[in-house]
Amino acid sequence: MISKVISGNEAVALGVKLSRVKVIAIYPITPQTYIIEELAAMRDKGELDAEVIRVESEHSAMAAVYGAASAGVRVYTATASQGLLYMHEMIWWVAGSRIPIVMTVGTRAVGAPWNIWNEHTDFMSERDSGWIMAFASTPQEALDLTIQAFKISEDERVFLPMMVGMDGFILSHTKTRVYIPSQEEVDSFLPPRKQPYVLDPEDPVDIGNMFQPIDYMKFRHSMHLAMLNSKEVIKEIGKEYEKKVVPVGSYSSLNESYKLDDAEYALVSMGAWSLDAMQVVDELRNMGVKIGLYRIRYVRPWDEEDIKRKLGDKDGILVLDRSVSFGRGGHLYLELKATLPDVNIKGVVTGLGGVAINKDAISSLTKKFIEGKTDGEWFYPSEVEKVELRNPRYIK
Amino acid sequence: MSLDYQFFPVSRPSEGGGGKTGNWRIVKPVVNLNKCIGCKACFLWCPENTIIPTDGKVSINYEYCKGCGVCSNVCPVKAISMVSEND
Repeated sequence: MISKVISGNEAVALGVKLSRVKVIAIYPITPQTYIIEELAAMRDKGELDAEVIRVESEHSAMAAVYGAASAGVRVYTATASQGLLYMHEMIWWVAGSRIPIVMTVGTRAVGAPWNIWNEHTDFMSERDSGWIMAFASTPQEALDLTIQAFKISEDERVFLPMMVGMDGFILSHTKTRVYIPSQEEVDSFLPPRKQPYVLDPEDPVDIGNMFQPIDYMKFRHSMHLAMLNSKEVIKEIGKEYEKKVVPVGSYSSLNESYKLDDAEYALVSMGAWSLDAMQVVDELRNMGVKIGLYRIRYVRPWDEEDIKRKLGDKDGILVLDRSVSFGRGGHLYLELKATLPDVNIKGVVTGLGGVAINKDAISSLTKKFIEGKTDGEWFYPSEVEKVELRNPRYIK
Repeated sequence: MSLDYQFFPVSRPSEGGGGKTGNWRIVKPVVNLNKCIGCKACFLWCPENTIIPTDGKVSINYEYCKGCGVCSNVCPVKAISMVSEND
């Protein structure tokens, strides 16, 4: 294991290389483009023994890796924003075919209006598709989760594809120190891929064909059970990863708690700003406020039991969301509300389209919440200057 | 390998569940066995599994072949011609 100062995108590319991926479909979209450029360069230098397919769209990217994975090899692709929406159809086909695939989503706002900065709405809008969904909060975690994703996705108890989210630019383009495992370490952790059926001319099978209603229902139930059972698999694989590969992270639970045990209040967040939120917790603790942080790492599966155990007795919970379901609020806020209906939960939707939310902003939002000056959910900043480039046509 | 709750959307190719569909055909594929090189491209592409590898070459199950012509199109040596059903 060595450590280097690299960006989130480079960390993910290294994780993919170390996982001995055989087919990679590449299509550029900001902010993940650097991952696939990096992989193409590795292939060019002979460091990566994989087929790199240049495709004409994200829909084709997912279709290409879906085909290759159906034939039994380990595959990878990456996307973001409009690209993720464009491959939405194939995302459902892959999950419904129970084909293990790993993909990175460099989260980014969705147009219109056009915006390339960070936001989680693209990622969160895929939460019902049957993919396992993890979200990194550091480049280190992006690398670790990518390697673990192959093993989780290919586990016989799971057989569901997995996407790893990473805040666009904030993680994808920011360089920090990352521990990079050696090939031997990863090999000891990640066995060659196995799957229950493959496309093979000697023994032909049909994948994802027509199902009668009752079989379809039974099938959907099996996906639901696989998702529920994946919780144990994720913990088990996380522990093994800590032991065999990178001992710097903590992966023995789906989500992470910070100073929650004796806390009266809790913050809930996901992604890079969780680290700012940790600092806010420390700051407020110094001021005598008993507060902790619950960091969501897995959106699917949703660790309901752990959330009830850790947050069920709190006086108040503030959920920070970087995504919005219009007219209903932030996705995590809604999930938390559904998990803990009797707890006082408030949510704030902020940071959309790259609005910079630093430690001070989180701190002031948290103080506002603790002082009780909040409704159920609010937007921050909610008042923005209207942009008028010209008068609308109907005004003379 | 799979567990009790695991259920996969996989089936094996079989003859038509909806009855014999060969009478849908307007044109039928005819294999020129002198030209056939036994590459099985037609077998791989046939959407109805009506091409049967036989003795290193191929034969066709006309009870289910709908005459779509995919086999004729993918044959690298043009050994399959589509001829009118009435001829």
